[in-house]
Amino acid sequence: MIIQIFLSGLLISVALFAGLQRTSARIIRYGLLVTVAVGLVFVWAPDQSLVIARKVGIARGADLIFYTWVVLTIALLLFLYLKIVRLSRTLTMLARALALRDPLSPAKRSE
Amino acid sequence: MYVIVRAFNEGPVIRDSLLKLRERFPLTVVVDDGSWDNTVEESLAAGATVVRHPFNLGAGAALQTGLRYVAEQKSPIVATFDPDGQHRVEDLVRLVDMLREQQLDVVIGSRFAGRTEGIPWHRLMILRAAMLFTAATTGVRLSDPHNGLRVMTGAVARTLNLRQDRFAYASELVAQLKTLRLKYAECPVTITYTDYSLGKGQKTSNSVRILFDLLVGWLMR
Repeated sequence: MIIQIFLSGLLISVALFAGLQRTSARIIRYGLLVTVAVGLVFVWAPDQSLVIARKVGIARGADLIFYTWVVLTIALLLFLYLKIVRLSRTLTMLARALALRDPLSPAKRSE
Repeated sequence: MYVIVRAFNEGPVIRDSLLKLRERFPLTVVVDDGSWDNTVEESLAAGATVVRHPFNLGAGAALQTGLRYVAEQKSPIVATFDPDGQHRVEDLVRLVDMLREQQLDVVIGSRFAGRTEGIPWHRLMILRAAMLFTAATTGVRLSDPHNGLRVMTGAVARTLNLRQDRFAYASELVAQLKTLRLKYAECPVTITYTDYSLGKGQKTSNSVRILFDLLVGWLMR
């Protein structure tokens, strides 16, 4: 029971955090909320994971949760990487604007 | 006409390279990509204008910065030239003549239509693979899409928008030849590989990085 309460608290915290993130893409926020909802079901009704696992051809509920976790982690890493690339592009534009603002010329150098 | 020279730690060679280049093409802008050696001082000593990135951004970012600079100068023709000794000024003259005579938008040098001196076999294989990959992904068949010796009209220089900061920009540039419906041609050139240029140029492992960057760019469209 203790671990179930702890996991539920953690998942609800994640849901609140996702809900409050106005800057995140809507699909990411909804995706996180669905993940939290499914997680809560599996925490309080672990037998359901076995039922779903059998339906998709996996022998154990624990394996289903593990595979899902792997997929979600990869998706999250990709999302974070794309975010870094976007930030990097913004940084490039900023650096370019700085560079173009003050070109160096031999005449300026001799002044 | 303006020549864009991208440079990253080219201190040992850039002054001689620029002096030769400026005998024929006096308007030269060096885009210093965050060098920590004396590239800037040597470029200024050779009489070139220098636009300096505050830190290293990559070859594609440096080229786009150069394009932005020459766009502000309203240059009618724009060329790109590498300072590491691989390119020859006489080849650049022929590229410019070809652009003018055939009224093209872009002329790209081709070492495979021309000559290469001292190219290692693994570099040759990578360039061939890059040619096939670029043709397959962009539909533009060039024998040497990663050749850095290029000439274009000022209008094209103002229109190109390269978002790939690193070496994947070459494939992006080729793709824009098609999307912008530009008139382009290749011109045979001689590329000379020296120990210095081989030490500076693209590494074999970069090809994997280029593929990855192109994939990410495609995901972010």
